[in-house]
Amino acid sequence: MIDPKRVLRALAEHWTLLEPLCERFDQGTLSLVELRQQLAAQLPAAPPADLTALLDQWIRLDILVPVAKSPNRFELNAQIHDFLAYLRREHRLGLCLEIEAYLRHLERLAGHILDAFEIRDGNDLARQLRLLDMRVRDVLKKLANDEQALIAVAERAKTSDRQIPLRQRYAEVLATWDEYVEPMIQLVAADGAFEQGVRRVEQVLLKLLGDQQRLGQLVDDDLLLRTHARILEMQTTAQLTLRRARELLLPLREEARRHNAVTRGAALALAAIRRKGLDAVPQAALPLFTRPQSTFLGTAGQVESYVYALARFEPRPAHFPKASGSRKSQTPRPPRTAREMLERCEQALPLPDLMQWLLDQEPDGATDELLYWFSRLSRDARFQRERLERREYLTRTHQLSLSSYALIRAADQPAEPTAPASAG
Amino acid sequence: MNIDLKELSQLAPIFRELFKGYHISQRDTELYAQLTNSQDQYRTLFAALGFELVCDRRGFYYFVPEQMGAQVNKTAQRLALFTFILVEHLADQGRDPLAVLDGGSLGRDELPPLLDKYRDLFLQAEVTSQEELEEKVMRRLTQLGFASEDNGAYRFLPPMHRFLDVCLAVQQDRDLAATLHSDLPLPSPELVAEEDDEEIVSLSPAEPEEDEEAALARAIAEERALQEQDA
Repeated sequence: MIDPKRVLRALAEHWTLLEPLCERFDQGTLSLVELRQQLAAQLPAAPPADLTALLDQWIRLDILVPVAKSPNRFELNAQIHDFLAYLRREHRLGLCLEIEAYLRHLERLAGHILDAFEIRDGNDLARQLRLLDMRVRDVLKKLANDEQALIAVAERAKTSDRQIPLRQRYAEVLATWDEYVEPMIQLVAADGAFEQGVRRVEQVLLKLLGDQQRLGQLVDDDLLLRTHARILEMQTTAQLTLRRARELLLPLREEARRHNAVTRGAALALAAIRRKGLDAVPQAALPLFTRPQSTFLGTAGQVESYVYALARFEPRPAHFPKASGSRKSQTPRPPRTAREMLERCEQALPLPDLMQWLLDQEPDGATDELLYWFSRLSRDARFQRERLERREYLTRTHQLSLSSYALIRAADQPAEPTAPASAG
Repeated sequence: MNIDLKELSQLAPIFRELFKGYHISQRDTELYAQLTNSQDQYRTLFAALGFELVCDRRGFYYFVPEQMGAQVNKTAQRLALFTFILVEHLADQGRDPLAVLDGGSLGRDELPPLLDKYRDLFLQAEVTSQEELEEKVMRRLTQLGFASEDNGAYRFLPPMHRFLDVCLAVQQDRDLAATLHSDLPLPSPELVAEEDDEEIVSLSPAEPEEDEEAALARAIAEERALQEQDA
């Protein structure tokens, strides 16, 4: 049996030497030679015999223990290591499974408490209640430790070298999320093991309080109430720890996920562009505002009056014809064909004045159309023409001055234009 | 909403910049501060004038065109391509693309190797030389407020998130991924052959259809026949 005072005294005396060693032991075991080198670096003036004596003392006090199956390598005693980590405010993230195991144990203790009460064993009841209380404190301690460890994880991720890939930088965050936070979310969920366990223990304690009032006290009510309060504190702490973990790690996890998505998106886009050109990625043509092109040049005064007119613009009311009303204008007449006009002209022979005849035939005809027919008919081979004096004619829209023709049938033409067809 | 123009003391420079297509971010201290303080007023005022002001919560402001024209914005495509290339290039080098594009910087001396490595892709954006890369991409990035240049390095500003969002949108585009992952063309469905070829509705014209030239030739022939007949 090692005297605790001697261990504590040794830790206090050699703290300056032990503290740097803790960091080395965090990363693995050390051989005797390495240990001597470490100590020699810190105590350069010390003779080798002193270093040997120092190591010997630590080994005798169980501060250093040999590694199983490697007697030449040493590590810090796990208990001492934990104690030093606590003193150095170092927190290693535990496992969610540990908390779950504690809760199962709490439930078993609640069962033992009920049994002890049923057989009216006051001593056992008090002992089980104490055990329950200590176990709840263990959970609280563990939750507090885990929260500190989570803060450290987030800080390490945020402060690590920005130049290393995000995946490496946030590897610890992602692993912590998957191995601790996600199972904790399941555990602390309304139907999870944590809530169920707490509820069961709480019910046992409340039943005990009621039964004690009815059947008489086996233990002090204060003990029951204190334990109950601590159970509720544990429940609240678990929820707060989880919330804190989410607040700390979720943004980092999202950043890592976003990083992966951006890299993957860029690679996808480049692959598509390589195969099918820039237009293969429609998302690339994102809307960028461009200054609208001016379509007119004007002086400042013109622009001003234009804007003024725009500001006072009132659209003219649009009048649509009534569906029931009749259309005023007649349906447009199909254009005359050359054959039709020639036939009509032939039938009207002899014509004293071609232009006048055309005006009589087409009083509403457009001037250009009338002139076309005048030209076409006067030059036709089947008519013999005779120029008239220049005079003025009035179309619907114009006043014309021209020398018209009198038309008679050409000498070699038959009397009836349709006769050859019918006679043929 | 009542808008007090006296409060909007930076209205003219803000409008001038936004109208150029510039993205205002924290780097433009005064403009950004006033836009942030009077965000609703500016948005309402610009909306009344027919301009849509986008206030991105990541810290920048810009106008979006009312409607995308039929013509694809070449500049946007070019800048997006540059972003894709830079993200991949940095990831290949083991660097963090987001750390560079979200507030980080890129040395001017890094551009030539980038151009060499991705020459085929830059070619698609009509960028063939270092000068063109600086002129058509880097200068446009700085002109539009996506980056700033000082001491031979380009520093990327918050509006670059617009292009990073494009990367995310592409990543979520299942169709695009599907077309890339399947080299074979999609199988075309085989229709079951009908037993009889009788059509439900006959679409063939009663007479054989003639094309425009044939119709013209026919009309000329008719006219000539008529003239011959007349003669």
